[in-house]
Amino acid sequence: MSNNKYKVLIIEDDATIIRFVETVLSTSNYQVITATNGLSGERMASSHNPDLIVLDLGLPDMDGLELIEHVRENSTVPILVLSARSHESDKVAALDRGANDYVTKPFGIDEFLARVRALLRTSRHCADSCSVPGGRFVLKDLVIDYDKRLVTMAGEDVKLTQTEYNILALLSEYAGKVLTYSAIVRYIWGANDSGNVKKIQVNMANIRRKCGFNPGDDSYIINELGVGYRMKDGKED
Amino acid sequence: MKKLNWTRKTAKDLLFTVMIFIVTLLAGLFLKFSLDASDQIPLIFVLGVMLIALRTDGYWWGIAVSFLEVFVINFVFVDPFMAFNFSPYTIPSAIVTLAVSLMTSALTIQVKEQEKIRIVAEKEQMRANLLRAVSHDLRTPLTAIYGATSTIIDRYDELPKDQQLELLRDVKNDSEWLMRMVENLLSVTRVTGDDVQLKKNSTVLEELVGSTVSKFNKMHPRQNLHVKLPDHFITIQGDAILLEQVMINLLENAVFHAKGMTQINLVVKEKGKRVVFEISDDGCGIPSERLGSLFNGSWTSQVETADSRRSNMGIGLSVCYSIIKAHGGTMTARNGSRKGAVFSFTLDKEEDDE
Repeated sequence: MSNNKYKVLIIEDDATIIRFVETVLSTSNYQVITATNGLSGERMASSHNPDLIVLDLGLPDMDGLELIEHVRENSTVPILVLSARSHESDKVAALDRGANDYVTKPFGIDEFLARVRALLRTSRHCADSCSVPGGRFVLKDLVIDYDKRLVTMAGEDVKLTQTEYNILALLSEYAGKVLTYSAIVRYIWGANDSGNVKKIQVNMANIRRKCGFNPGDDSYIINELGVGYRMKDGKED
Repeated sequence: MKKLNWTRKTAKDLLFTVMIFIVTLLAGLFLKFSLDASDQIPLIFVLGVMLIALRTDGYWWGIAVSFLEVFVINFVFVDPFMAFNFSPYTIPSAIVTLAVSLMTSALTIQVKEQEKIRIVAEKEQMRANLLRAVSHDLRTPLTAIYGATSTIIDRYDELPKDQQLELLRDVKNDSEWLMRMVENLLSVTRVTGDDVQLKKNSTVLEELVGSTVSKFNKMHPRQNLHVKLPDHFITIQGDAILLEQVMINLLENAVFHAKGMTQINLVVKEKGKRVVFEISDDGCGIPSERLGSLFNGSWTSQVETADSRRSNMGIGLSVCYSIIKAHGGTMTARNGSRKGAVFSFTLDKEEDDE
């Protein structure tokens, strides 16, 4: 019974938030374990081997960023960060240290569950196929053929430059997950040069125009302002 | 960084002081040798002191020059020339010149200080207005949430399920509204504090607008919103989260307050070195007596009536105004030529550095 469920570890110090997240997750058929401080959270992460960690960055006993680093030393378990608004730099820092995604407080349950599903899916998916992109990526009208390096939108070829294709393919490989500007720069150009953020933004603008993504239309790529970009996962609404 | 700024300012003040001093000295020499009007020299020097006090920081430059000039006047312009001569004959005039210079310098600085105080007071006034409006607007939904949840807990078995659901929906609505309020408050503390904490980044215009529009569409799915953007790639130096909030506030303002509104337009245009954002609706417009005080948050508490509990319009608008002002932009409100309200704000485009 419970062995078939995904196990989610919540590390959060606020009892009300724990209760609400726990209720939402357990009624959506996840097994939930909770820790109210960083130390016990870290211990439970290694002893219970959860499928997903939901982590609040503001813990009473340790910095959430530190905890991410510790967990990442010997585990690739997906980490979903809960962060307060007005801390964009914290989000970026958490993502760059190995967190997989973030939700900003206050958040709705739909948004939260979508992220949880996406993370569990990509982590499972990545285990066997992510390292070597093969086959095709399909998201509504958008199809990426990795072998032919070809992108079509509703059957029409989209003529992308090499860099534009690489960015789009990268985002699709990590669909459902936010990639920070610096992560994209690292993957595409292999260097961490903040001046390159402008290059990504220009390339993204071209991708949007060539694929016909309208501003305000979130069905393919979501701008996480000041953080990076996220390609929608095929199964998200 | 602060230290560097300080030294630069000091160097600038020193340069200005020396320049003015040299100019007055040359003017004095000209008066003496070309026009033979030595008696007017102290006047020129007092004028110099006033200019220095006006343009430099603090008292010290003006005072230093006041003392210096007394010696210079005595040394250069009073018989015997190019020598000091402090005799009962010259001392009174020296003292008078010194006193006049010092007083001019002190008065000038006082005027400057008063201007500073006035600006601080204005800011304080705005904050006080906001706080008053906010505390009122927080109390209403909090009371409603408290009341609804207590009712459900106390009468859990007696209340029919649909009534409980109705109460819970109200709780949800009120919480959503409180969230918006808190977002606005956070922004206010970020832009009207003693040191403004803008996190300015190079932001792509279409991403900023795109993200705003998708957020708005999620909150108000049935709302008819038309968006028009310039075609090419434009970036803005700004705090994306705050700018997004300005647009959301203005759009929601139309949703909540423009009676009879069927459509909202968000149009962004380039105008020279600036970008103009215009949010207009076809609703009831803004009463002309309110146009003047729309952005300072002052009228909210006065025109409050019992049934207008969703009245955070004033707060939202003054938050918008503060955010745009902190970005060095301008914001205006007017009524459209046919009907509805038009809010517009401008921001600087980022210069291409490549």
